[in-house]
Amino acid sequence: MSEVRQLSRSRRPKWHYLAVGVVLIVVALALTVAWGILAAPETAGPRAVAPARVIAYFFGSVLFLLLIAGLVLIVLLLLREVRLNERQSNFVSAVTHELKTPVASLKLYLETLEYRDVPSERRAEFYRTMRQDIERLNATINNVLNAAMYTDRPVAEPRPLDLARLARRAAELTLTRHQLPKTAIRFDGPESLRVAGDVQALETAVLNLLDNAVKYSKGDKLLIEIEVWGDMDGQAHVRVRDHGIGISRTHLPFIFTRFYRIGAEVRRSRTGTGLGLFIVRAIVKGHRGTITVDSPGPDRGSSFTISLPGLLEPEAEVDAKPEAAHA
Amino acid sequence: MPRVLLVEDEEHLAAGIRFNLELDGYEVETIADGLRALERLVPAPDATAPGLPIDLVVLDVMLPGLDGFQIVERMREAGNYTAVLMLTAKGLPEDVVEGLEAGADDYLPKPFDLPVLLARVKGLIRRREWARGATGGPVRVGDSLVDFANLELRKGEAVTRLTLLEAMLLKLLVERRGQVVTKAEILEKVWNLNPDTETRAVDNFVMRLRRHLEKDARNPQLLETVRGVGYRLSDELSPR
Repeated sequence: MSEVRQLSRSRRPKWHYLAVGVVLIVVALALTVAWGILAAPETAGPRAVAPARVIAYFFGSVLFLLLIAGLVLIVLLLLREVRLNERQSNFVSAVTHELKTPVASLKLYLETLEYRDVPSERRAEFYRTMRQDIERLNATINNVLNAAMYTDRPVAEPRPLDLARLARRAAELTLTRHQLPKTAIRFDGPESLRVAGDVQALETAVLNLLDNAVKYSKGDKLLIEIEVWGDMDGQAHVRVRDHGIGISRTHLPFIFTRFYRIGAEVRRSRTGTGLGLFIVRAIVKGHRGTITVDSPGPDRGSSFTISLPGLLEPEAEVDAKPEAAHA
Repeated sequence: MPRVLLVEDEEHLAAGIRFNLELDGYEVETIADGLRALERLVPAPDATAPGLPIDLVVLDVMLPGLDGFQIVERMREAGNYTAVLMLTAKGLPEDVVEGLEAGADDYLPKPFDLPVLLARVKGLIRRREWARGATGGPVRVGDSLVDFANLELRKGEAVTRLTLLEAMLLKLLVERRGQVVTKAEILEKVWNLNPDTETRAVDNFVMRLRRHLEKDARNPQLLETVRGVGYRLSDELSPR
């Protein structure tokens, strides 16, 4: 019951627009039909119908239909705008939560240490908690900054880099960050796979995918596979697959949208800002690549694949450039 | 020893608040999930172990399962009038109002000051006693009989449960019968909010009281609005 109310509360404005639009369209259509009927007795009457009148009627109808089409378009655009607005306000509330929660925790622990007599073993525990809060805060700040920094614009100065090494490093960093056993992430790929791009941006993208994989995995089923390979068409691929909660078909098309998060903000069980995958897509697009997602369904894991064009030959080494300059 | 139920899904906050409440001598129970919290507060009729009675709920708004607003609302619908202190990262005025309208008794935005949190917890447990405090038995307002000790309003056969806030507002008006009570004073004394807070909460609660007390809530005879100043409860015992 209140579930329904919750939904209708957030959707109400949209229905207003939709109702106005639909009413206008119906009125316009009714007018067209009425006009046709009113004009009909004369047109259907004796043959002597002035051609000028037929032409006027024809053009009038076309103009009217254009008007209706315009109206439909406006309603659709409005709907899109409203949806974006909704997502934006969700984002604000997600970021507010993501920023304020660790701050609240830090403040609480600082004040506790200040006002209370805390036994030393608890104090060590408090410090650990506070350090984790700072890391969470830092991650959110980085996310917001990255979203502003990485746009779809092509990478200014692509440099040769080793995608396989990048993936291995990202996997190691993820293991350390989340304090996971070495077996939690399985790497599969060649020793080296060279492409041209922005190494920092691509590392951010792969780290975001790995972070998501950890975040949406269930404790006992934590196994993430990261796979790197090159194909005959000169494309390099990185695939991150988890065995976590998966994504239902209805959400799949939207998950790369900025601020998009599954479920209602207020009942959120997982932290986040709705920026992670948006950043990944922006980075991949900046490399003229593509990102695809696949999930067999809820609770059956998901896999994300980044595909980048411009696979470099192994011998195209970094020192190729200085030689070219010498020539 | 007063028992506090702490509903908070952020582990760090829950642990920190618990540590402090326990030092202040409260028994603390923590639950991290909205649905489980509701189960604890409104046990199913066939529940085997209903748990010890709770004196105060410290409730986060963003929770997995069921949000804080819904928990208070359902608690109140089910007739549980335990005092509720809401905590939330969203400090917007409309959130304050939404929380209070849902039936929360007090509200604290995150990040909060530790001394303030502890004072509010203490205050709420005390305020409950104040609202129920001795007014010398039930008080007649119009043709209703208000029993502050049990937070009940009787009108003939019908009995209405008052929330703590409704009771406190009504008590303030009763204590000052015939005088105008300003909105600022109500905000400060009943809601514990800054008197300059922009909110419709007082107006909404006055409307609720009117629905309980008046024959026609749109045309109040007992609880009058004094335009631009505040509200006044008529000191006549029965409606004109």
